[in-house]
Amino acid sequence: MLYLDHAATSFPKPSTVLDAITAWYQELGVSADRGDSGRCATVRRGVQTTRAALGALVGVPAARIAFTSGATEALNLALRAVLRPGDAVLTTEFEHSSVVRPLRALAAERGVRLQILPATAAGGLDVGAARAALLAQRPRLFVFTHASNVTGAVLDAAALCAEARAAGTLTLLDASQTAGHLPIAVGADLVAASAHKALLGPPGLGFLAVRPELDLPAQKQGGTGSSAALDEQPTAWPQAFEAGTPNTPAILGLGAALRWLAATGIQERLAAALAHTDALAARLGADPDVRLVLPPAGARVPILSFVHRRYDPAELGAMFDAAGVHVRTGFHCAPWLHRALGTAGSGTVRLSPGPELSAADVQAAAAVVVGS
Amino acid sequence: MAELPSLHRYSRQMRFAAFGPQGQQRLRQATALVVGIGALGTHTADGLVRAGIGTLHLVDRDIVEASNLQRQVLFDEADAADGVPKAVAAARHLASINRECRIVAHTADCSAAFLQSLPERPNLVLDGTDNFPTRYLLNDWCAEQRVPWVYAGAVGAEGAAMVVPPGGPCLRCLWPEAPQGAEVGSCETAGILAPAIAAVTAFQLAEALRLLARPDLAPTRGVFTCDVWRGQYGVLPLASGPAADCPACQRRAFPALSAPPPEVATLCGRDAVQIDPPRRTALDLDQWATRLQGAVEQLERTPHLLRFVVDGVRFSVFPGGRALLFGVRDPLRARALYDRWLPHG
Repeated sequence: MLYLDHAATSFPKPSTVLDAITAWYQELGVSADRGDSGRCATVRRGVQTTRAALGALVGVPAARIAFTSGATEALNLALRAVLRPGDAVLTTEFEHSSVVRPLRALAAERGVRLQILPATAAGGLDVGAARAALLAQRPRLFVFTHASNVTGAVLDAAALCAEARAAGTLTLLDASQTAGHLPIAVGADLVAASAHKALLGPPGLGFLAVRPELDLPAQKQGGTGSSAALDEQPTAWPQAFEAGTPNTPAILGLGAALRWLAATGIQERLAAALAHTDALAARLGADPDVRLVLPPAGARVPILSFVHRRYDPAELGAMFDAAGVHVRTGFHCAPWLHRALGTAGSGTVRLSPGPELSAADVQAAAAVVVGS
Repeated sequence: MAELPSLHRYSRQMRFAAFGPQGQQRLRQATALVVGIGALGTHTADGLVRAGIGTLHLVDRDIVEASNLQRQVLFDEADAADGVPKAVAAARHLASINRECRIVAHTADCSAAFLQSLPERPNLVLDGTDNFPTRYLLNDWCAEQRVPWVYAGAVGAEGAAMVVPPGGPCLRCLWPEAPQGAEVGSCETAGILAPAIAAVTAFQLAEALRLLARPDLAPTRGVFTCDVWRGQYGVLPLASGPAADCPACQRRAFPALSAPPPEVATLCGRDAVQIDPPRRTALDLDQWATRLQGAVEQLERTPHLLRFVVDGVRFSVFPGGRALLFGVRDPLRARALYDRWLPHG
């Protein structure tokens, strides 16, 4: 099977990730802050190492990294902690359902007012338009994805964060598609991401990073392995945002993934995956029946969306499957963007290759469509 | 014996000596299951309810359409306009015919899981299906449960029906493998005359009444066949008894009960359903294209697939039997359309 769905989740994971997870199940089995044994100390060091590595990645102290069940939980916690009744929030047409749906829920529950910045005709986001909206509205929060999970376009997150700061607006960056590919320390006040995409960790884990000066109310209450005599949720981080038994094997697996990535070279992996994306774009783009859906001209992650003049994306998905190529078809949980892309009826076929493919693999994948 | 007032409605039936008041009492205590509430199922359900069955379970996954009204009794134009589920519409009309009967409507796929979840074991199962996989399932489940069932089918002007007693011979004894869909006609491609339905369901219903009212009598042995256009009716005698190695009625392995169901998924955000049969069939798309010619619209064969439009739904069919159905969201409805237009063996 050829796997071209890294934007959903990376596959395969480095064997060291599997080893770290297995070692926890076979040899450790305990949580970091639930006991005083030597095992707990070992686990505590492992979890702390992962937390510190993520802190370095985002540019916050390790203590300001809270582990979550995924980017979706991190985004939900952040939006619910930041947005108060009647607040204005600015966002973009590129957002994933994990931002769209909590925002819609908060609009209904708390009267949060939503402004959505449209994608440009070229498939990017206009920083000037963002500045104008920020200055006109002075919203409480600007939440935006770092990269489109449909087209691969990377937004200028540093510029957008700077504009927001100038307007006195907090920023929440959804780095799910960029963490593990690109620097994500871009000056956002809050950063959410998942562990299982380009960071090569296991599913069921994500994190929320919050700038130290920002005081946010906990959104979940429960056991933290600390201050257990108190009825109230501790306010100190990360315990404030980490109620309940953590997913320790996944945290240790992510730690192994981060070490593996540092040793292997993030930039080299990205360059290889982008080369495959370019080869796919060149081969598919030469087919007159294929329309590439706004492939980004500038900064991008290895994602390519296309539609076909004679085949529905769902039909193409079945054709890829029959040829042993795993791709994704449809809307990719990005409901707003398809209006701008002209693909609202049936979505796109999304190819997101990883660096492990060979040039022959890429040609084999393209051959499913080209000349059909 | 004093006649209960409500029994008066059955007086003509009870006066038939072989049926009698005792037969009426047995029928009143009986439970039957009708699988498929189309032409066959509405005829037999109507007959059983008028005759005074105690409990009748109806199962069908599809909705009423205008093209059903030519031969499917118990439905009217309002049912078709509203797209009422067939089991529900039939139960409603049956309740107005005889409120003494307990009628239970199931809008469901008649799968092994469905049969196993029935709240009570029926005394009899009547086949009203339009496809062989479901018939083999009924065959195996009835063999396992030792419940008699009555097979029936009709296409064009011809029909066939047969009682399958618990000890066999069963459907698998006669046809070890289901005929492939493209080889047999269907009502969609070969058409159907309503009297062919009436003829086979007359046989089915008479056998049902005898099995339920007079379990001491042996059912008719043989295959009832008819050609109502040529005026030919008869019962072909069976050449032999149960096949010694029959996996259902003799070896009691019941293969259809453990066969995985097809994978059916509504496509995220689309009015479309994907159906992937568990067993890849040697589905020949060219053969299907020939078969469907004239019965469907916009028939198109591409190197990768076969497309056509029918019943307001666009089909894309791939080698092996996977299909996408555009214009439908409900998985049950999609399964019904798939089995109707692409009946697999």
